[in-house]
Amino acid sequence: MTTFVLRRLVWTVPVILLVILLTFLLMRQIEGNPFRTSERAIPESIQQNLEEKYGLDDPWYVQYLRYVKGVFTLDLGPSLVLRNRDVNDIVREHFPPSLELGALAMLFALVFGVPLGMLSALRANTFFDYGAMFVSNVGFAIPSFLVATLLIYFFALEWGDIFGLPTSGWDTWQSKVLPTIALGLGPMAYFARLTRGSMLETMQQDYIRTARAKGLRWRRVVVVHTLRNSLIPVVTAAGPILGFLITGSFIIEQIFAIPGIGRYYVTAVTGRDYSVVMGLTVLLALIVIVANLVVDILYGFLDPRTRDARA
Amino acid sequence: MARAPRAATSHADIPLEAAPVTAPLAGAPVRQTNLWKDAWYRYIRNRAAVVAGAVFVLLLLYCLIWPAVSPYDPNDVDFSQAREMPSLEHPFGTDTFGRDLFTRTALGGRISIGIGFAATLVILAIGVAYGSLSGFVGGRLDNGMMRFLDALYGLPYLPFAIITLAVIGDSGFWSLVIALSIASWLTTARIMRGQVMTLKQNDYVRAAHVVGARRHRVLMRHILPNTLGILVIAVFLELPGVILGEAFLSFIGLGIGPPDASWGSMAQEGYKVYRVFPLLIIIPSVAIATLILCANFIADGLRDALDPRTRET
Amino acid sequence: MAVAGFAALSLAVVLTACGGGGDSGSGGEADGVITINWSSEPPSLDPGLATDTTSSNVLGNIMDGLITLEGEDLTPTPALAESWDIEGNTVTFHLSNEGRWTNGDPVTAEDFEYSWKRTISPDLAADYAYQFDGIVGATDYNSCEKNCDAMRDKVGVEAVDDRTLRVELTSPQPWFIQQVAHTSFLPVNRSAVEQFGNKWTEASNIVTNGPFKLARWDHNSRLDLVKWDEWRDADSVSLQRVNGRMITEGTTAVQAFEAGELDETGALGGLPPEELPRLQGTPEYEQSPSLGTYYYGINVDNVPDVNQRRAMALAIDRQSIIDNVAQAGQLPASGFTPEGMPGFDAINPNSEWLPASGDMERAKQLMEQVQNPVKDITLVINDAPGHREIAVAVQDMWSDLGIDVEIQQQEWAQFLEALGPPPAKTTDAYRLGWIGDFVDAFNFLELWRCDSGNNNTNYCNKDYDALVAQARNTPDDNERYDLYAQMERIMFGPDGDVPLIPIYFYTNVSLQKESIKDTFTQDLLDQIDLTKVVEGDGSGAEASG
Repeated sequence: MTTFVLRRLVWTVPVILLVILLTFLLMRQIEGNPFRTSERAIPESIQQNLEEKYGLDDPWYVQYLRYVKGVFTLDLGPSLVLRNRDVNDIVREHFPPSLELGALAMLFALVFGVPLGMLSALRANTFFDYGAMFVSNVGFAIPSFLVATLLIYFFALEWGDIFGLPTSGWDTWQSKVLPTIALGLGPMAYFARLTRGSMLETMQQDYIRTARAKGLRWRRVVVVHTLRNSLIPVVTAAGPILGFLITGSFIIEQIFAIPGIGRYYVTAVTGRDYSVVMGLTVLLALIVIVANLVVDILYGFLDPRTRDARA
Repeated sequence: MARAPRAATSHADIPLEAAPVTAPLAGAPVRQTNLWKDAWYRYIRNRAAVVAGAVFVLLLLYCLIWPAVSPYDPNDVDFSQAREMPSLEHPFGTDTFGRDLFTRTALGGRISIGIGFAATLVILAIGVAYGSLSGFVGGRLDNGMMRFLDALYGLPYLPFAIITLAVIGDSGFWSLVIALSIASWLTTARIMRGQVMTLKQNDYVRAAHVVGARRHRVLMRHILPNTLGILVIAVFLELPGVILGEAFLSFIGLGIGPPDASWGSMAQEGYKVYRVFPLLIIIPSVAIATLILCANFIADGLRDALDPRTRET
Repeated sequence: MAVAGFAALSLAVVLTACGGGGDSGSGGEADGVITINWSSEPPSLDPGLATDTTSSNVLGNIMDGLITLEGEDLTPTPALAESWDIEGNTVTFHLSNEGRWTNGDPVTAEDFEYSWKRTISPDLAADYAYQFDGIVGATDYNSCEKNCDAMRDKVGVEAVDDRTLRVELTSPQPWFIQQVAHTSFLPVNRSAVEQFGNKWTEASNIVTNGPFKLARWDHNSRLDLVKWDEWRDADSVSLQRVNGRMITEGTTAVQAFEAGELDETGALGGLPPEELPRLQGTPEYEQSPSLGTYYYGINVDNVPDVNQRRAMALAIDRQSIIDNVAQAGQLPASGFTPEGMPGFDAINPNSEWLPASGDMERAKQLMEQVQNPVKDITLVINDAPGHREIAVAVQDMWSDLGIDVEIQQQEWAQFLEALGPPPAKTTDAYRLGWIGDFVDAFNFLELWRCDSGNNNTNYCNKDYDALVAQARNTPDDNERYDLYAQMERIMFGPDGDVPLIPIYFYTNVSLQKESIKDTFTQDLLDQIDLTKVVEGDGSGAEASG
């Protein structure tokens, strides 16, 4: 097991290098001037001064190496657009809300989705099952911006007095409720369907039938055997989903005015703030990699067969 | 033809490889016919899948045909007719510019579904090529390719789509297709590789080798056709993700520009006026949701029909 | 099990996070406290680097400059400068001795000399260094590559003594006094800048000298100001604290206002045009004129026939766009200089090419006279709210002239590239707006000089440039207005070249709680003077900010 983990960790390094390289090359291709923020043109001399100041007039490989060195010394450089701030500051201030939002949404999705799926599987083909699966499917299909809009409209505006939920922001615990639901509804539905399907399939398996035939108590059978095995696909899916929740939350952040990474990312790309974009992309890639790694480790625990197969 | 016993969850028990095999090596894929017919019968028994399929086809027809026959010019601005509720003349009402929503939704569907299918096909093309090459050749090439794939897994999907769009420079149809497919083909490649590797081990393939059939022939004649089922399912599984991706990009303003619209850009316009005219955000969102729902049910139905043992996660 | 483990981990995250709940700053819990919407994160609070409205509004309230602009006409009024003399090209400011920094230092003329030279310096690479171009030696210093210290000494700003600042201009520039009220001319505290370097603007480091202090700055989230009791005129300030959110998304901001979470929104970020009809009937709605012109520029190299340009101008029904799309009570533009500018009545050409409701018939007639009409026009716009809708309306209007318009919506950085100057070859027309920096039509009309960095039309007219140069040297207002009128006629008179098509003059719209509505005003330059705002009954009791 340890070798597995170590090997994966070692692999992270070239992956990060690749991500940096790709992002770097892509950013270089984009037209645009990070220093020109308003429509008022920048005089040539000032433009030159700025490029010198930020090292943008060096050849690309020099810049690349400088940047790689920066990443490994944890110095992501200054922001080109926000002249009084460094990328490190930006990450430090804006990453926690996104991480929190992603984690809360994930928690919401798991806590409500998995049991819903389980119960549906246990009551397969009953009204409960159909109803739950209908709700799940709808929840999965409706785009999150509509969910967010509806939630704000009803719970924060129309019935605001009853619920006491604000329409936006991210400071009090009340302000975190609606964004979590808006972001977590889709994954919740996904987990519900996945759990249900997985449980149903597991329950058909011979060894389960054997356990039942042997007369083991139903509950024990369900909990110990079925659940553990049917959760494998859920765990596998959880990694990428968590990655997606953290890296793809910018619409929710925009609608709810949450000062997170997502919103910043879009602003940085459109503003051509090269250093911020690269810093954030590297960070987001790291998250995805870590999430996948965690999942793979858990998977290894759950299903020992895979550990060898992966070598 | 043998009828599969009715299981409570329609998990019939006919594995892919066990379908009647009489294929001569050089030959006509006789078993294909049996397989597909079989699958069709099983599919039809799944009510949800059938309804979804019908709705899907209807949606496609609406988007393809209606704009051609519609009496309204979708780009005609007429402020006196702005924001009207649905009526006989305008089944979906009109938007902020007085344009008929029924027609614009159909047009938006052309673009959204078009992008969806195009991106999905690109994803499949790249994924299949990559995965089958890797799985078929095996050995060190496979190892290397899979490691590279692992590396690419680190690319966060939506951020990269945004950067790609910025690189390409405009947000036209094909730019969106490229941006959306660039980070999404990884899973397909992996599945394809897995499939190819499994099939490679099968007796009939080994038999083909023994008889001396050349490698690419084996690939084309025997392995790929068996994976066709998987691919069809994959289309309907990838489609929702792509459509949502396009909707998200459009919602933050990076999508199709005026006067064309996709469902996502229509939803963005609708969001701005939802307090006075919620119809403008509800209609495109429901359209997106319907498409996704149908795709999901169709995928489920296909999966049960074609290869009930496959678990795609 | 794994799920349980993960759940536990997440729960831990949540619990630690839950602890950090500050006051949500709901509107007006106590007298003298209001919550407003800055609408975006200020990119920089360094006066030398601030270019946007949010930054200039924050700075305008936490810093004290030489001059402020008061009243509806924005008359230059003494702030830290008690008086000033003008002699030819030399302006001398006499400073009061009441100016203080929050760290105890007195505000002196040296502070101003240091700050202005710092903004002009090539190291700071300030976008707005061009504001100082009228000062002797400024452009040389700004573009110097070596010997910069010597250049610095030659800049025409000198602190004669602690309370006297002498400025040498390159020409009389009668609007210079107006200009000095601009954000770029605010002072910075030398010791803070030298001590903290890049980070001197953070809430914990910043040293200010104005009516309010920066109490709290959570980037992209909140920026709060608190009254500074030691300001020279603190007794006149009623507000105790101003809490500020940063909600960029228009719909979200309006919702927050309606839920009572904000006392004001829209002054800085505007209101979504689509919501305006609904909001205009409410008592909280507020509208005021703003010095700005929304226009479509034309690449005259690509559309060389003046008759086509005139036709395109005539085809636009401005009033319809204002009523149906922009919806904020804007004024249809009949020239380039906006209404509210001193001398407007004399300057405005009331152009026959810019009728308020358009003149489609005449436009079509003109179009027929065009020899080689350009039938395919690429219209470039940026993707901020409102522009697309206007473009769609214009597209429809121009299609009646037989012109096929392709709307290219681009994001900001690309859009700027397409504009240049010089504009990209594929750019036939583009959308832009110009907001006034200071209150004199020169600020607007000098844009169309041949070598102006803000002239994206390729338009070049020597006569026009000559008039601009002449205006620089004309201190008498009425004479100058006459020159401005001539410039407008060159562009929009009966023989006008029409290199651009003004559409409307901006207005400011906002929603304000009734308790502050009377005193919360935004001037023609979009600045809000928080020292004048009175909340509630204005008793201004000590509040627990």
